[in-house]
Amino acid sequence: MSGPETATDRREGAFEAVHRRRATFEETLSRTAEARGREAGAALPKASLWKDAYYRFIKNKASVVAAIAFLILLGYVLIVPFLAEHHILWKNNDPYAVRFDQAFLSPSWAHPFGTDEFGRDLWVRTALGGRVSFAIGLAATAAIMIVGITYGSISGFSGGKLDNAMMRFLDALYGLPYLPFAIITLAILGTVNFWSMVIALTIASWFTTARVMRGQIITLKQNDYVRAAYAAGARRHRVLFRHLLVNTLGVIIVFVFLELPGVILGEAFLSFIGLGINPPKASWGTLAQDGYQYYQAHPYIIVIPSVMIAWLILSAFFIADGLRDALDPRSREA
Amino acid sequence: MALLEVEDLYTQFWTREGEVHAVDGVSLSIDHGKVLGVVGESGCGKSVTALSILGLVQRPGRVVSGSVRFEGRDLTKLKETELEDVRGRDIGMVFQDPMTSLNPTLTIGTQLTETLRRHLDLSRDQAKKRAVELLQEVHIPDAARRLSDYPHRFSGGMRQRVMIAIAIACNPKLLIADEPTTALDVTVQAGVLDLLDELRREHNMAMLIITHNMGVVAETADDIVVMYAGQVVEQANAVDLFDRPEHPYTEALLASLPHLEGVDVRHNRLISIPGRPPDLLVPPEACRFAARCAYAGIDDCHVVPPELRELRPGHWVRTAHPSSERMAAAVTT
Repeated sequence: MSGPETATDRREGAFEAVHRRRATFEETLSRTAEARGREAGAALPKASLWKDAYYRFIKNKASVVAAIAFLILLGYVLIVPFLAEHHILWKNNDPYAVRFDQAFLSPSWAHPFGTDEFGRDLWVRTALGGRVSFAIGLAATAAIMIVGITYGSISGFSGGKLDNAMMRFLDALYGLPYLPFAIITLAILGTVNFWSMVIALTIASWFTTARVMRGQIITLKQNDYVRAAYAAGARRHRVLFRHLLVNTLGVIIVFVFLELPGVILGEAFLSFIGLGINPPKASWGTLAQDGYQYYQAHPYIIVIPSVMIAWLILSAFFIADGLRDALDPRSREA
Repeated sequence: MALLEVEDLYTQFWTREGEVHAVDGVSLSIDHGKVLGVVGESGCGKSVTALSILGLVQRPGRVVSGSVRFEGRDLTKLKETELEDVRGRDIGMVFQDPMTSLNPTLTIGTQLTETLRRHLDLSRDQAKKRAVELLQEVHIPDAARRLSDYPHRFSGGMRQRVMIAIAIACNPKLLIADEPTTALDVTVQAGVLDLLDELRREHNMAMLIITHNMGVVAETADDIVVMYAGQVVEQANAVDLFDRPEHPYTEALLASLPHLEGVDVRHNRLISIPGRPPDLLVPPEACRFAARCAYAGIDDCHVVPPELRELRPGHWVRTAHPSSERMAAAVTT
């Protein structure tokens, strides 16, 4: 402690402190003004809508787990038959060879999923069946999207009498129950193969997509930017594709993941009741049906394809859930 | 011949309650390079008039009768495809709310070049170059880089500038601005108005500016049309209208403007017009302003519908008792 402070010292000290504070304040002010000047109107770093959606999706733990599970399943279905076919791994696991001496082998290292009543390896066979299920599911989902989006957007975009007629027709179809509708379609087509399955499943389940698309288009149609586009001379088809359909992309992606499990389950059910892919080919549905006959003695034969179907459906639903939140963050608050 | 001549335009909306007579016999005209202001309170049919000119009235509304002659062509008689060629090319339009008038999923550049390439024979690169020029013209800094930005990165004022850039992209002969500053901050309103005026001069455009703000038209408009309940009630040169308003409604509108200076500005309350505009489902048969008019009742104006008459050259008014005649009457009695 230095000598006693005089009144003058104290006053000058205070004066200096005020000055210092004022100087820093002014410096801050000028710096922010400069910064503000620089920032005003300057382009911000890029961030796209898709990137934002990606970060929101990543934050949703359940969806990320589901996405990984989905990819694992897809990997199993694609890779395992490939490895077996080219004798890289599982060289003795033939999914088609009938060997009664190896029937009903329980799951082991050699046959991870065991063998069925003809001694066919289920590890590779289930993967092959998954390929069929996936292929039918994807093809039918694509067809549903094409039909549903076309029908729904024409109906919603044109409005008026045409919209009314198209929606009443849809209401009438809605009254028909899903599976009987698909079964009848299969019966009319007369054959059961890959494409007839796709057609039957598409015809039986395109309504919801069409309806949702119509609602989306009608909502979007009322946006000011649609009117502004017309005022700038945009043609009708241009408005539909550029301003309306593009904005429904998020909903379409979500719907793909909602329709896919539904269609695969439909295919499995049809196969289970005997309207499936013809043997020796298999899908998860036909595999489950095979297993059903021996469920008491050899439960793994029915459990495995059932778990596969459940795995696929659950992961797809959780992915759809996460995608919906990621692509339309407002829907969560509502 | 005037650039745009709207004659006896009737636009109706068919709603559940009945027919709404939104625009009821409106006539107006704009000369090349001139500015016409349309003033009136909410729901008086200003915006519907503008939309009717471009044929943009949506269901359940429709232009019932009347003609919109633009450069001699009647727009109401054109086919939809022909009308699409007029919109954006010959007539540009700026809307009220810039926050919702740009598509949030497309970049500014896409939305600008879309209009350019729709109407002009431009390559992708040419259109992009022109888009940059347009953004510079509406004073958006760093235009070349901002082309690839999405609308959410622009403020309201900037978005309105982009909307204006889109509207003038093809050098239209007429620009319709529907409440171009209403949705903006007061601080940026003046900037947008200055910009519109500047562009109008540079491009030699005529402009139809719709507003409920007397201040906006006072500065920019050559002529002013005052609308009330779907009708034109007064039309005059801007200076004449502000100096010598004739219709009681115009008088009341001008009187209700807040004053910032004056003797007892602190003690006076804001003057408002009593009552509400009439229901356009069943508009009054005679004078539509009669119910709120201070001078109604002294003659037969609420029985006999007043006609739009030319009080003095260029000054039209629809009332039985314009202020100049009232004053004359006061002097004689």
